[in-house]
Amino acid sequence: MATETLAAPVDASPRRSFSLTPILTLGIPTLVVVLFVVLPLILIGIYSFYSLDPVTGLMQRDFTWANYERVLTSPIYRNIFIRTLSIAAIATVIALLLAYPVGYFIGAVAKPQNQGVLMLLVLIPFWTSYIIRTYAWIGILQSNGFLDSVFGWVPGLDTNLLYSRAAVIIGFVHVYLPIMILPIYASARNLDKRYIEAAQDLGASPFSTFLRVTLPLTMPGIVAGIVLFFIPTFGSFVTPQLLGGTGDVMMGNIIDNQFGEAFNWPFGAALSVIMTLVVIVAMTLFFRFADVEEIYGS
Amino acid sequence: MAESDVSIRKLVKRFGDMVAVDGIDLEVPRGAFVTFLGPSGCGKTTTLRMIGGFEHPDSGEIYLKGEPMGRRPPHKRDTSMVFQNYALFPHMSVADNIGFGLRERKMAKDEIRRRVSDMLKLIELEDRGKRKPRQLSGGQQQRVALARSLVIEPTVLLLDEPLGALDLKLRKQMQIELKRIQQQVGITFIYVTHDQEEALTMSDRIVVMNQGRVEQEGSAEEIFDRPKTRFVAGFMGSQNIIDVQVADRDASSTKLRLGSNTVTLPVAVAPGVSAGAIAVRPEKVRLDVAEGWQGTVQERIYKGVMMSYSIRLDDGTEIDAEVAHDDVRHRHEVGDTVRVSFRPEDAVFIPDGA
Repeated sequence: MATETLAAPVDASPRRSFSLTPILTLGIPTLVVVLFVVLPLILIGIYSFYSLDPVTGLMQRDFTWANYERVLTSPIYRNIFIRTLSIAAIATVIALLLAYPVGYFIGAVAKPQNQGVLMLLVLIPFWTSYIIRTYAWIGILQSNGFLDSVFGWVPGLDTNLLYSRAAVIIGFVHVYLPIMILPIYASARNLDKRYIEAAQDLGASPFSTFLRVTLPLTMPGIVAGIVLFFIPTFGSFVTPQLLGGTGDVMMGNIIDNQFGEAFNWPFGAALSVIMTLVVIVAMTLFFRFADVEEIYGS
Repeated sequence: MAESDVSIRKLVKRFGDMVAVDGIDLEVPRGAFVTFLGPSGCGKTTTLRMIGGFEHPDSGEIYLKGEPMGRRPPHKRDTSMVFQNYALFPHMSVADNIGFGLRERKMAKDEIRRRVSDMLKLIELEDRGKRKPRQLSGGQQQRVALARSLVIEPTVLLLDEPLGALDLKLRKQMQIELKRIQQQVGITFIYVTHDQEEALTMSDRIVVMNQGRVEQEGSAEEIFDRPKTRFVAGFMGSQNIIDVQVADRDASSTKLRLGSNTVTLPVAVAPGVSAGAIAVRPEKVRLDVAEGWQGTVQERIYKGVMMSYSIRLDDGTEIDAEVAHDDVRHRHEVGDTVRVSFRPEDAVFIPDGA
């Protein structure tokens, strides 16, 4: 009797042993992921093998590698792909040069009681829509815009930047900078100051301390920041469309165009699949190269 | 006095309203193992960090080999610190950690390799050079931290409670190990701890600190046997600090009174002193002699080898005694009337005002 009484709360009856809690806690996230991530990806994957009926322009449910062949053999797409990569890479490097000092300052130099407010200031731009912030740059960069009217008189300085590569990069850096600062801030805050003291104590100058101790120990934040910045930049189509010229078209614009005006979903899907694979492979290599595990692994 | 590696003059450091270091003067002789001993918050770590250059004094000066340090940063001082939790660089191998300071000094690669391997030998971790610090045990990490500081051959090695994170057994081993290494390399060690036993085991000189001041400075024996202040006596384990009046004195002895009891100690007391305290360690208190101060056993605690008694004298003073309890003849029960005595040479008189 005693054991039964003790066991009662766990399995009093077959009815009670059925609990909704684990099903809800595991089920809802799974459902969300399947519905909004897995299914669309599968769908895109399937579309990428479809073809277009040359007469009606409608999608044909068949299986062809033609879309991939077209992407991989055409020099046009190769050039746009390389351009996309280089724009995203340049923007990432510039953003890193800006984000690191800011993130490091807030996380490791500022007083702990001020860090919250400072990070809030960094994140405030996120309260405004991406599109609106990008439009704001049009006002700043266009001819007779803010930049032009203030600095236009300086000889040799091009202040009419709208519809240029520079404008696209400025737009990217501005829009995605906060999400790069966040992980750098976090790793700087977690950096144990005694490592820095130890390095100085052993004779390292401030510069040497930074290179040999601070930088490697905040590498996880840098890696995360680069990934968080690079991926949306690489796939972006709004910024180059609004701020870039005809020479700044990125893969995102091509894909957007295939699904939109060109109405060639299979080809757009094939481009998307290739982009996704490139990002996955690049990030895998990047993580291996950066070797974050090596620093904090067990 | 031997040549000083470190001289400290009127050192003061405040953090906001708190005075962490309140006017310290100190000489650290070359090649000595000096321990700053005191409770947490006594200013010992702050003083150590000022010597290392991690904090700067509000007033006063620190001299290393006679040279005033002022606000010189740590990397320009010939000191090296072993941190409490070692602060080994987690992204570098053990060998790279040890070689860090040498690479900063732009030493040739071969020379670095040779010195690092010498150090690994000294700390008996020859085969662990390629490991990462986290793959080592606490005691091994401790030794790597020591090697990393020693390899750059500092004038002074600063150790901030370096054994605090280790378990008791390992700590005892490391105490002996540290002392051996210090004697082998001959570098001046300044060691910070709150553990009096640790200080006694290793130090050539002990500086007992309290509330930002130096209470007493001397050899381990001096500090242990002849505490000069009530604080030092208490901190070094004399639980019995008994207030007494000076009843009579001559050139070589002093008669002290506690209520109706008296004791004569073989010490001379300055003419102006009329009161003070007797410090006597519990294990020096005897209960097996017919003579002595009368009291009642209040409490008895079994402590293995020793039996601890708490005895209240007739005038209300409490005295602790620890006696070997294997001697059944002298076992006392709570409530028993006993005679408390100690040999005059086992007691220390601390005049008031000290």
